[in-house]
Amino acid sequence: MIGKRKRDTAVKPADPVEPSSPPEDNAQDVFRKYFEAQFKPLDLPSVQTADDEESEDLSEEDELVSESEWSGLDDEGDKEPTVQVVEHKNARVDPDDIMDKKARKAFMNAKPPSSSSSTSKPATITKDASDSDDDKAGDAENLKQDLALQRLLRESHLLESASDLAPTGKNRLKALDLRMQAIGAKTSLYKQEKMPSSHRRGIKAKAATKEEKRRREAKENGIILEKPAPKASKSSSGRRERGIGGPTIGKFAHGALNLAKRDLEAMQGPKRRPGKGGRGGRGGRGGRGGKSRGGSRTA
Amino acid sequence: MATSQPPLRFVSHHNLLYRLVLATLTGRTVHISQIRSNSPTNPGLAPHEISFLRLLEAVTNGSQMEISYTGTILVYRPGLITGSSSGTGASGGMINYELPAGCTRGLSYYLIPLCLLAPFSKAPMKVLFTGPGVITSSTPTGDMSVDSVRTAILPLYNSFGIFNNIELRILRRSNPGPNGRGGGGEVQFVFGHQVRLPKTLHLMNPGRIKRIRGVAYSVGVTGSNNARMIETARGILNPLSPDTYVFSDVASAPLVPAPEKNNPSAKKKIGLGFGLSLVAESSTGCLYSADVASPPSGGQPPEDIGKQCAYQLLETISKGGCVTPAAATTMLTLMSMGSEDVGRLQIGKDVIADPTLILLARDLAQFGAPGWGIRDASGEHEQSDVIVSVVGRGIGNVGRKVA
Repeated sequence: MIGKRKRDTAVKPADPVEPSSPPEDNAQDVFRKYFEAQFKPLDLPSVQTADDEESEDLSEEDELVSESEWSGLDDEGDKEPTVQVVEHKNARVDPDDIMDKKARKAFMNAKPPSSSSSTSKPATITKDASDSDDDKAGDAENLKQDLALQRLLRESHLLESASDLAPTGKNRLKALDLRMQAIGAKTSLYKQEKMPSSHRRGIKAKAATKEEKRRREAKENGIILEKPAPKASKSSSGRRERGIGGPTIGKFAHGALNLAKRDLEAMQGPKRRPGKGGRGGRGGRGGRGGKSRGGSRTA
Repeated sequence: MATSQPPLRFVSHHNLLYRLVLATLTGRTVHISQIRSNSPTNPGLAPHEISFLRLLEAVTNGSQMEISYTGTILVYRPGLITGSSSGTGASGGMINYELPAGCTRGLSYYLIPLCLLAPFSKAPMKVLFTGPGVITSSTPTGDMSVDSVRTAILPLYNSFGIFNNIELRILRRSNPGPNGRGGGGEVQFVFGHQVRLPKTLHLMNPGRIKRIRGVAYSVGVTGSNNARMIETARGILNPLSPDTYVFSDVASAPLVPAPEKNNPSAKKKIGLGFGLSLVAESSTGCLYSADVASPPSGGQPPEDIGKQCAYQLLETISKGGCVTPAAATTMLTLMSMGSEDVGRLQIGKDVIADPTLILLARDLAQFGAPGWGIRDASGEHEQSDVIVSVVGRGIGNVGRKVA
């Protein structure tokens, strides 16, 4: 289509404007030419009026100049203004990297590019670019306030009578400790590790009674609570040998593997009822026993 | 799908692919004779045509092909387009299709007709193109690159109401190998939107170009070729359309097995080169594409490729209309397969005067489609464009009818 219009202009007798127009190496002129081909020739308002005004200006200046008896500009008053603007610039526009990454992701994936999705992209990006500074400042401010609010909510139990938003002294240390726990500290800094065993037992007993009381009251009031935490059973892992290459079953002692009755039972799998299947011989039973053992292990 | 109707008789190898596609879509048996019978050296079907027949066999169920001893006569009884439903040669829902080493055509030669079949398939069409003959770039034989298929052909289906789950993933790039033969690319094609009938299309306003996008690819050569192509192309296009972006893709050369006597597992690099694919989009969603790649013999600087491609794009745009010559076949075939309604499409006179398009019109008429109505376009493109009115056949998807 563009080419078509170009051709039309070629067919047209040369406009009076064209010879005077500067060489058309920039986009403005190309577009102006298209426009003229499409509608009617513009009578070159920008260049000529500018010329006229400038010549008037010059004539005024001429008078002044003639007063000062300097007639250097007289000859050039009728000609075009001799301001030459030289632009050293490539036709190529610098690749803007902001656009690049997003657009690349949108364009270079496996899907056929859809027109609607990619139209929105440049618009949003230009918007970002225009008021990014304001946005950044606002974002930073918001983030700061948000953090302060979160901290206040989390640590408000430390503050008595809303004295201060920035806690001091003991409260400050406690707040710091809470924050450290929030970002991943295993235990509190102020957890007492060593104490007399009577104290520890007392603490545990107190916690247990507290918990028991809570559960009892909940039950009486018909409130359903969470299930009690399972009690840690130490007995199972008590006397197992953990060396590399140790037996997975039984106990190795004095150069012999001793199997307890329990181990044998675990190996054989659950007892089968006699007289149920009973068709196969030994081999069949062995095979099935093996299978069922596998099943029990997974289950 | 064997019909009692007598086979349609065609002559010569011209437009063979679209004859086969139309036969498959309409379910008519075709009898094509005198295929290159005048050629003393290479009579009969060419290797790439045989490859396409094998591809047809892979995506259909119950197709029968009979090829005469010399290959100059082909009888094709189409089956049902099944796509990649399980149990019909698809492994894991994906048909693995291998192209032989001597292939001279780009992958788009197979892809564009396959895209025409895919919306009328019974199950989603998923094909993985592999093998030593897959060329993803544009070729000297005149095929467009796979990038252009993705960016300029597949979006056209959108206007027919076919848009879901369409993917064309280039897993490995390859330019044509030595003497333009072979490549080592790998392309995954998924067409998951099957319709009963494509929507009727009315596209009569080409609009103005608002955006130019493109892909520059280098395979096995330095990525600076991309930058050079892009710089030259942008130098030409940017003053005309400021929203011009060309993305760069640098890939390593594919390896294909080349067994030797003492090293049976030897591999060689193939398909080195670079190329550029440009797509211009107009304000009404019309797409114009251009494709140039470095010749297999080499010796052309990337600046020339970029320049050629940019000028080719401008030339394509200057031909006018809403479709490019490369996309016109797809558009018009889909319109003919649409519902029994009149669809209209504005086409540049230079585009419709193309012999392949006229041949397509004649073939469509022989397949029983009503003739095209052609009148001059109105408005600003009165001189250069015509409006083609196409009445759909209303057959649509046979597999969907049953399902």
